Amino acid sequence: METSRADFVIAIRSAFLKKGTKQRFSLLSLIFFSLIFLTLGELNFRVIEHIKTGIKEIVYRSSFIISGPENLIRNNYSTIKNHFILYEENQKNISELEILKSIDLSNQILILENDKYKKLIDDYFINTNEVYAKVLIDKESPFLRSVVLNKGSRNNIKLGMVVLDGIYLVGKVVEINYLTSRVLLLSDINSKIPVSMEPGDVQAIMSGNGSETGIIQYTKTDSLKNNDDDLLVFTSGAGGLFKSGIPIGKIKKENTSQKGEKIVNFYKDFSQLKYVKVLSFSKEKLALDQLSKKRITKIENQIQAINKTKENLRILLEQKEIEREIRLKIEEENTILKNKIIKLQNEILITKANKKNKIQNNEKMYIELDKVFGKKCRKTIFNNLYKYGSEQYRACVLNKGKKN
Amino acid sequence: MTNKGKVNFFLYTYFPVILLFISVLSEFDFKNIELKYFSFEFSYILIFYYSLKRRDSLGYVAIFIAGLFSDVVAGSPMGMSSLIYLLLCGAAAYLRNITLSPSLFKDWIFFLVTLLILNSLSFMLLTLISNYNINYLDQLISVIVTALLYLIFSYIFNFVDNFLLGSNNAS
Repeated sequence: METSRADFVIAIRSAFLKKGTKQRFSLLSLIFFSLIFLTLGELNFRVIEHIKTGIKEIVYRSSFIISGPENLIRNNYSTIKNHFILYEENQKNISELEILKSIDLSNQILILENDKYKKLIDDYFINTNEVYAKVLIDKESPFLRSVVLNKGSRNNIKLGMVVLDGIYLVGKVVEINYLTSRVLLLSDINSKIPVSMEPGDVQAIMSGNGSETGIIQYTKTDSLKNNDDDLLVFTSGAGGLFKSGIPIGKIKKENTSQKGEKIVNFYKDFSQLKYVKVLSFSKEKLALDQLSKKRITKIENQIQAINKTKENLRILLEQKEIEREIRLKIEEENTILKNKIIKLQNEILITKANKKNKIQNNEKMYIELDKVFGKKCRKTIFNNLYKYGSEQYRACVLNKGKKN
Repeated sequence: MTNKGKVNFFLYTYFPVILLFISVLSEFDFKNIELKYFSFEFSYILIFYYSLKRRDSLGYVAIFIAGLFSDVVAGSPMGMSSLIYLLLCGAAAYLRNITLSPSLFKDWIFFLVTLLILNSLSFMLLTLISNYNINYLDQLISVIVTALLYLIFSYIFNFVDNFLLGSNNAS
């Protein structure tokens, strides 16, 4: 017993402590070094971080070069495979295109309406800082479903940026180096995305399952039980990282895992990613401030000019109103004066008529009195009275003869 | 030694190291060809085989660096693969020390046990310390397939070594 234990110790010591002829370090020292590396890495030690970044830059580039031949073979295999199914797909595409063309127009209208309503509720995001990147490494590690892109902090890639292939969500940036960055794919087991499912507007969290699909978590089982249709899965926008409405995948009604979880089939095959779009979203107002300050200033100036013109117009309108009121007042006064004039004219006419009548009456009375009393006032050879037609004669007639 | 002989000798000497770095830097995986439940760690087979059969063909420093590279490519915590690779080396060295009459079957059983222990260790480190979520089933399948393929690859490596060494001796 003692001998076998001693043999074991000798064998272990020989294996871990003894250096070979070409070995510079013993196995044990390198194991300790690995443990130190691992521990300090977990504690985010700065020196280790710098070493990590350096190694990553070298490895990502080297890996891209080394993977060249196999990628070539894989791409050729994929091309040949695609050619075999090309005719069938073409026929299918033609018929689908006809249907889609008719749907497209109504979709455009819906998109415009959607944008309008989102603007109304201040939930309208626009793309900012859009970068196209090439997938350098697509290693399907058992630990991490991720891809490495050929753009890094030099190209304004930031942590948490959204990665799309076409319009479909692929993942988010989880690690940034100077020239490269790592994207955590939706299929990764650590990926947790807030999603909405339609029809029914069911809110949930989608996680990857480490293979090519995702699973729905943290949702009420009852909300999905009664649903007999296929469900469309897209981002809900909860949490503010992703814009709402980015399509992710589809849940077929018969697709349920052994644990009863709903399985999401992604629209994109993550093993076929070649070029992706990395972008972040921000509210429209903020983006406009950043992108077109000059344009905003111009618009503000135009608004100021319009406001000024509007103020001038208001003053002019007020002046016009005042002038109208004055005119009305003048017209009113004028009417009153006219009436007065008419009244006065009438009065004058009446007075004139009265005067005329009086004169006529006087004349009439004079003629009548002249017939009777003319003899008593008229100058003849025998008296020294008044000459016919003179004022004295007239006064004498009206007095019915000369009065003494 | 002729030029061909020199090339063969160079290949014989550095073939394991070159193959190790290609395997860790390459993004090739059997998952890419859509074979479900089929993935294996080629680097484990390579390191174990050459540490067992030709102890000086793979330097410990080279293995350590290859581990770091593997971590970077796979996205696992830095130092994890190095630790596993070096422990695998240590296990192979221990087996070499205690073995008087080498047998492929014994090597294979030892490799399987070592893989199970090392994967358990890596699983514990990743889940308990680094908070990684790992699909245990995937990892178990990977271990079993890797162990099964060790038999095939040991024949292939043996054949390649004999071919390179044989042509080298002939020249």
